[in-house]
Amino acid sequence: MFGYVFPDKPEMKIKEFELFRAYYCGLCKSIGRNCGQVSRFTLNYDCSFLSIVLSSLKGDPESIKPEKCIAHPLNKRLMVGESNVLEYVSYINIMLSYYKLLDDYNDEGSIKHKGLMIPLKPAFKKALKQYPKKGDVITKRLDELSAIEKSGCKSIDEAADPFAKLTGDMFMYEPLCTDENTKKALSWFGYNIGKWIYIIDAYDDIEKDIKNKSFNPILLSFCYNNEKAIDFKNKVKDNIKFTLTYTLSEVGKAFELLEIKKNREIIENIVYGGMYKKTLQIINKGEKDK
Amino acid sequence: MKDPYEVLGVSKGASEEEIKKAYIELVKKYHPDQYRDNPLSSLAEEKLKEINEAYDYLVKNKNGESGGYDSYNGGNQYGGGDSNFNEIRNLINNGEIVRAEQMLDSMHTKTAEWHYLKGIIGMRKGWYSQGYNDLQTAVKMDPSNFEYRDALNKANNSNTTYASRPYGGGYNRPNNTGADMCQVCSWLWCTDTCCECMGGDCIRCI
Repeated sequence: MFGYVFPDKPEMKIKEFELFRAYYCGLCKSIGRNCGQVSRFTLNYDCSFLSIVLSSLKGDPESIKPEKCIAHPLNKRLMVGESNVLEYVSYINIMLSYYKLLDDYNDEGSIKHKGLMIPLKPAFKKALKQYPKKGDVITKRLDELSAIEKSGCKSIDEAADPFAKLTGDMFMYEPLCTDENTKKALSWFGYNIGKWIYIIDAYDDIEKDIKNKSFNPILLSFCYNNEKAIDFKNKVKDNIKFTLTYTLSEVGKAFELLEIKKNREIIENIVYGGMYKKTLQIINKGEKDK
Repeated sequence: MKDPYEVLGVSKGASEEEIKKAYIELVKKYHPDQYRDNPLSSLAEEKLKEINEAYDYLVKNKNGESGGYDSYNGGNQYGGGDSNFNEIRNLINNGEIVRAEQMLDSMHTKTAEWHYLKGIIGMRKGWYSQGYNDLQTAVKMDPSNFEYRDALNKANNSNTTYASRPYGGGYNRPNNTGADMCQVCSWLWCTDTCCECMGGDCIRCI
């Protein structure tokens, strides 16, 4: 379900995209350092976005250096140097990835997922030790989520709620939550990001889930009645498009209330451009197949 | 008080015109209407207060008169209807969303007003899909009610404002109305065809 949060690249300045990538690469290195080299494959753009937003709430300039990277052996890549934020996000990333694999394993019981979990286990345990409170929040919310999914929930809002709350909590990195206002704004920012990720992922999976007869909150909450996928999508399109756009407009409102000290252009591009374009792209996908 | 220039995002030597322009932009951005039914409304109010103070300070310092925007008096004032609904409206105004929703859920007859209030609560607590549905239902049940239509319009406007906001360097807009290369080509082709109709030729090779 990860990787939807990405910039609107064509509208970005090259230096901004370089910086975006420097955060991504820096985070990847940080994961390697803190959680072991194998854990690096779990990195996704959503966590990279988390690290940019949190870093941007701090005023001090980032140290950016070209470094070697195993995935790009020929050229050195620009990377943001290690920081508390990157370390925090790398542990969050590992916890989320591990639980995602566990969830997939419980759903499908495939050996592939179990196999991927084994090398992550030591890093996962270390992460739980470093951030026990965040670990508790993740387990609690994911338990809520699977209970809702099992009960055959009839509301997309209710189904999206636990993951949204989880994301909101991940954005509340304690050292940065020095006052009530930042805390409130960050949590609402994250809540809506999480909500958007959950719903857009569900919408994107409609065809697949109809075919495999697997759980999909949108199929349940809009009473799927064995019609063709395309007809069903047309039925729910207006509501889902409104919901996703409104969620993003709330992300925007929360963003305007954050005291962003750097990287404003990059975050604006993602919040107002990249995520909105992704929404339109996913909503309008399959239009031509009619 | 924070540095008023910083609050308004203008440079130290900015002219009154520039200050005014920046001020109006910021008031639009943080206007209570933008944050209606939003849990961050009190933060936006604070921000607006800061902006008003900064503007008052700068403008008063220059020519001693006080500045424009009347400070917003907080909360959405809902009014009218039967006593149960009035109590629920009061709860919503005071931000007691959970209790308001409990009261609403315990009612049996679902009138247009019921759906409207349920919709307002949905939008406020982040349950937009249901909120949108309820607001639509309220409008459908009572199309002549201004309050219900207004709430639905506000929600839609929030999306439009979001979708048309320029970002990054500010040279782009998501719903770009400018011409792309295809359009330019087709204009040229049209011009040429028209010219040929009239006996002339604009571009020889096509």
